[in-house]
Amino acid sequence: MLRLLAPALALTLLAQPLAAQEHEHATCEAGTVALPADLAGWNDRQPMNAGTRENRLETAALVLGQAYDTTLSRTPDVRYIVRPEKPGGSVSYGGIFALDVTEAGTYRVALGSAAWIDVVRGETVIQSGKFGHGPDCTGVRKMVEFALEPGRYVIQIAANGQADLPLLVSRLN
Amino acid sequence: MRGVTAALLALSALIVGTAASRPAEWRWNLPEGVAPPPVPADNPMSVAKVELGRRLFHDADLSIDGTMSCATCHSQRRGFADRTSTRPGVHGDPGKHNVPGLANVAYLTPLTWADPRQTRLQEQALVPVFGDHPVEMGMKGQEAELARRLGGDRCYRRMFRAAFPETRGRIDAEAVAKALAAFQRTMLSFNSAYDRYRRGESGAAPSSEALAGEGLFTRHCTACHAGENFTDQRFHALSHGATATDGGLGEITGLTEDHGRFRTPGLRNVALSGPYFHDGSLETIAEAIAQHGGTVPAFSEVERDALLAFLDTLTDQDFASNQSFGYPEKACGKPLL
Repeated sequence: MLRLLAPALALTLLAQPLAAQEHEHATCEAGTVALPADLAGWNDRQPMNAGTRENRLETAALVLGQAYDTTLSRTPDVRYIVRPEKPGGSVSYGGIFALDVTEAGTYRVALGSAAWIDVVRGETVIQSGKFGHGPDCTGVRKMVEFALEPGRYVIQIAANGQADLPLLVSRLN
Repeated sequence: MRGVTAALLALSALIVGTAASRPAEWRWNLPEGVAPPPVPADNPMSVAKVELGRRLFHDADLSIDGTMSCATCHSQRRGFADRTSTRPGVHGDPGKHNVPGLANVAYLTPLTWADPRQTRLQEQALVPVFGDHPVEMGMKGQEAELARRLGGDRCYRRMFRAAFPETRGRIDAEAVAKALAAFQRTMLSFNSAYDRYRRGESGAAPSSEALAGEGLFTRHCTACHAGENFTDQRFHALSHGATATDGGLGEITGLTEDHGRFRTPGLRNVALSGPYFHDGSLETIAEAIAQHGGTVPAFSEVERDALLAFLDTLTDQDFASNQSFGYPEKACGKPLL
């Protein structure tokens, strides 16, 4: 029963459809509660360096369902494809990642911080869907959903306060 | 003769030099009959200062870790208010009050929900940047770091020199605040459907429902939501008042009778700027109206819908999308980020 409730809880937390990515969060120690099934990979993270140029993303290609401990670059060193709505200052961190989608569906980007997320195809920013924070005490600070068609996307991360950023992209349906 | 020519040349050079160093004057673009907002003598407007203030407003380097600019909370598409009830600061400290919109803020005083001391934009601008009650942008004690960051940018140095020739472009917290204030003074919103209707513009007539709402509003709401900006700029208590962590005006004055009193919020762009009330605890305008019990009649559903239709006419989409308030595409002639 608990396993059924947990994904439902996560969906409830994503219930606000928002154009912007505002956030509020609870403060408590991460990793002190069990993760819902759709965030199960969150604690099994692989290291990955974020890219800084669109044409150099071979080593920054995300695998769906695999969580990462990413290392971002200083914001002035990142060449975003499209200027993020909240670009972050010179002392912040950011980076870009490749994501290949083979099936149309709803995909969710989960972060361990409240950094700004853009999903870009070509030079078009994909409108975000539901937005929310992760379950308290999981370390998932922010989750944003995107409806994606098959193709190559670039995920832009901006305005992060530090170089380290846990990140997970997963397909919801 | 040579001496006279030399003197004339020197004089004309002096005149040209003076003209060149004086910042271009700001020209207000206001509808007929609307007076410009007051401008303090110690912070006159100029094109260069507004341009600098706009860049600073959108620059997250005004926060300790570069993640939060003024525009992070003051979102243009929401009338420069915020979608969250209260916005956490850069370190996660809970926010205290719902972020107010900035339409016509230059005409308002006091400026904030519960602090009557905040009457000048150039002083209030320092609160979120350097304040610690609560910590918002986290720069307390980091004035030198802020100057270092901005001064490390050649374009910023040029912009400060253009905006503040009297200090030769000194970059410090005072200049940052003055530039922010100058930019905020330009955030003018006089083009809602209701404004256009009041000016008699053709095609601007509100719906009959909205007109009925206007009548209800005039009868029951304008004692507090008064004037061009729909606020009497005074502090009042409603049943939805103080909380354990927020005593409102009473926190400042120490007076029991001020406990739970908050400044009447203006209603321009109210349909864009939810959630509502000082703590952002009310998701919809209908909920906010319902919380005025005792000060207004219990409105019927039809009356409430009429009020909502009227309040919707206070939305100024031009203000919410005007590029001149948005993130600057360029600075010093070059693209920004």
